[in-house]
Amino acid sequence: MEIVLINRLREIQKKEGYLSEEALKKLSLELKIPLSRLYGVATFYSMFNTKKQGKYIIELCASPSCFLNGSWNLETFLKKELKIDIGETTKNGKFSLKKTSCIGCCDSPPAMLLNGKVYTKLNEKKLKIILRKCK
Amino acid sequence: MQIIKKTQLKALKVARTLGPLGVIETLNKKRVVGRGGASFPVSDKWKYAIETKSDKKYVICNADEGEPGTFKDKLILIKNPETLIEGIIIAAETIGASEAFIYLRGEYEGLLKNLRTEISSIIKKSKTNVSIKIVMGAGAYICGEETAIIKSIQGFRGQPYFKPPFPPVEGLFGKPTVINNVETLVNIAQALGFSDYDPDLRLFSVSGSVKKPGVYEFKVGTKLTEVVKKAEPAGKPKAVYFGCFGGCMEYKDMELTPENICKEECIHGAGTIIVVGEKTSIIDMAYIISKFYTFESCGKCTPCREGTIQILLLLKKLRAGKGEKKDLELLKELAMHIKETSLCGLGQSSTNHIISAMHNFPDEFEELIKR
Repeated sequence: MEIVLINRLREIQKKEGYLSEEALKKLSLELKIPLSRLYGVATFYSMFNTKKQGKYIIELCASPSCFLNGSWNLETFLKKELKIDIGETTKNGKFSLKKTSCIGCCDSPPAMLLNGKVYTKLNEKKLKIILRKCK
Repeated sequence: MQIIKKTQLKALKVARTLGPLGVIETLNKKRVVGRGGASFPVSDKWKYAIETKSDKKYVICNADEGEPGTFKDKLILIKNPETLIEGIIIAAETIGASEAFIYLRGEYEGLLKNLRTEISSIIKKSKTNVSIKIVMGAGAYICGEETAIIKSIQGFRGQPYFKPPFPPVEGLFGKPTVINNVETLVNIAQALGFSDYDPDLRLFSVSGSVKKPGVYEFKVGTKLTEVVKKAEPAGKPKAVYFGCFGGCMEYKDMELTPENICKEECIHGAGTIIVVGEKTSIIDMAYIISKFYTFESCGKCTPCREGTIQILLLLKKLRAGKGEKKDLELLKELAMHIKETSLCGLGQSSTNHIISAMHNFPDEFEELIKR
């Protein structure tokens, strides 16, 4: 059975935090796939990062169902609390803030992912507690 | 709920007794159609794959449920993975495939462990030669499109390509491939396993401005108001969106049939219903849905790649109160143009929400240019 490239990229990212140029170069030699193609794949999928990310990656759901349940307020809150904009990482390298398309949690909105783990029915109070727990 | 009833390998036994042609005949008789949005008869899709001669064939289970507001496949993956896996084995044995893939969206990583356990258990119990491998998506909405899934599994950017050839004739690695959605595969097993199987039951993911969002099962033709009432609207509903791609219509007493929904300039799709209350602006909805499409466009064809950006810019201008009448005309024209000229289903449906909103809520757009 063939190696599924995106499964492989996921494994690397899980271990190293992001897909660095070095990691992609190494994989390119191993699989005999041109680096340009690997880079193309790595930048196509929104869950792959080719730049170093914060220790905690927050991905706030931007879908209509979460919007209808107050996700815009949460976005404002997180930006203020972390003092960064969407797509940025805090100076101390602790948090990265992103928005994601629907994560299928419309039955318990608003929702977000924190390092891939789902958090639902969010409000400012809950977010404060979650942020405080991120050491 | 019919969808969570487990077939417990009875369906596979029936399928093995009937043989490929018998299975096709039964699925045809029981009117099993695809639940991913297109309602294509399963028996036709499978027949092409059976008839195409090849040393290797594949089955792909599309578990890349990404349509905003849709979470029915998640429910199935949690509550009835056994029947899903049985459905995959039936598909593979029927068309003569020895390998199957489940393309699971990256955001559902939490379901991975349990799914793996169920796969090895069912494979062992069923004594099948079919192997099932899970491929994890990595956050690309477009990978729910069948040719994009193929590209993604093959290790490329998940960009769709022109059909024909259709996957049942030439699909994954150039071999005949059957691609079915999670809900479809469960229905296939249930149609074979249960004598009282009801093909008219559909799953509805109801969310938005409601107190009890969730997955509900109703018959085709159930009244919209009945479906929404079950989820207990918070405040007075104004509109419903059939996901992002299906467009929006006024909330009213209407039977939910594909024909009726089509009359409202909408598409029924995968049973997604996002309820919008009277306090929410349709323009805000248009804005966030347009943002979604600019983000998720795969970038391959120009109308979708560039057009979705221009739609968003126009909406920004209109929301800022700087729009004129000609901007509304341009918005409509551009939306139609993208619908007619994009390569794949994503691009073609990316402006349904604009077209239907302008058709069903013209006042809210007119209001923008009066300011």
